[in-house]
Amino acid sequence: MEIYGEFKPYLSKIRDDVMKKLSDLNQREIDNHKTKLYEHLIGRVKTENSMVEKCQRKGFPLSPEGALHECKDAIGIRIVCNFIDDVYRSIDLLKHVDWCEVVKEKDYITRSKPNGYRSYHLILKVNTPYPYVDDCTPGCYFVEVQLRTIAMDSWASLEHEMKYKHTIENSEQIGRELKRCADQLASCDVQMQTIRQLIHEND
Amino acid sequence: MRILLAEDEKELSRVLVTAMHSIGYTVDPVYNGLEAVEKANQGVYDLMIFDIMMPVMTGIEALKKIRSAGDQTYVIMLTAMSEIDDKVTGLDAGADDYITKPFSLKELLARLRSLERRSEDYTNDVLKFGDITLDSSEQRLESFNSISLSAKETKLLNLFILNANKKINSDILIEHVWDSEDDIDRDTLWIYISYLRQKLQSVNAHVEIHGEKGGPYQLINTNGGNFNDSKVSL
Repeated sequence: MEIYGEFKPYLSKIRDDVMKKLSDLNQREIDNHKTKLYEHLIGRVKTENSMVEKCQRKGFPLSPEGALHECKDAIGIRIVCNFIDDVYRSIDLLKHVDWCEVVKEKDYITRSKPNGYRSYHLILKVNTPYPYVDDCTPGCYFVEVQLRTIAMDSWASLEHEMKYKHTIENSEQIGRELKRCADQLASCDVQMQTIRQLIHEND
Repeated sequence: MRILLAEDEKELSRVLVTAMHSIGYTVDPVYNGLEAVEKANQGVYDLMIFDIMMPVMTGIEALKKIRSAGDQTYVIMLTAMSEIDDKVTGLDAGADDYITKPFSLKELLARLRSLERRSEDYTNDVLKFGDITLDSSEQRLESFNSISLSAKETKLLNLFILNANKKINSDILIEHVWDSEDDIDRDTLWIYISYLRQKLQSVNAHVEIHGEKGGPYQLINTNGGNFNDSKVSL
């Protein structure tokens, strides 16, 4: 099924454009003698199969409108940072650039999910030169940005492995251990941030 | 509480067992030191009560054997009023307390209650203050979020909660949280205070540690700013 229709070719272009803009933002920080914003970036366009599954689950129309307008994560970018401060610095910068607007944010870092998941989610409305489903050219596309530290990212990978392995024994205990691990990683993140602040106290 | 009672006078043993049963304690009575050692090796007790003068093996000898096996259970010795030396040998052999014979049942039961309260305070170590919960055995701080604490951070926050709103000097904090052989100065304490501050912030707590580098430090409930709202519960 080709749920993205005629808009499909634009999606990977927009993903690359946004990643380039983020990389420019990072370079500007480095040029201004600040530490790098992030450790690495990952970008993806949701596969058409996953998007169909999601639209069915959410009751959205199986059309480009459903996939690109109702669903806002067809294009996803993850910013993986060294330290918690960098996550918030990146968010602050993103709120002040002229090529996008933050339309929604969810802070799962200060309020983690019950299973221990920590991450900061933004939905950006990005200005593009391409046509959009509302017939506007140039159109604005939604891009989901997830920001997290390396520790939060590793944890999410582990949790992902558990979630997609259905035949797991003692899933309750494993879930409990994952939660405990999330709390310990959060502890390390906060500890590193504190040490970093102590180092730069007199800057 | 599970209690091991070693008392060779059958009549006295029976009275003590009945009294302790009546207030909900589980008691294993034995009638000489050797039986006490055997029972202690097999089971876990919250308290042991040993008479000193017993056949086969004295209470002191039994205590020494139990301690040398690594058992740290709280032990109360029953000593005769006149035998000062027994008290001294008993305590030196590893007893935690003694009761002189003849004693009133009322006093013994009151001591057991006191001991129970104390051990509960140490084992049921979940403390609440303002909107935070500290689980000392899990070394976890919770509010709108949860985070792990190190052993020292846990001890430090525990002390702060038990003494909330008091301005506490650095030296007192160091003395209570670190062992005397640890070489800890105020700068190290400051790092730990900084960790705790950031961790309180990261769980979104309305509880803060006030104070400049060097101390004194004070744990404050910032929710509404009313000190009367801050309640310590065990």
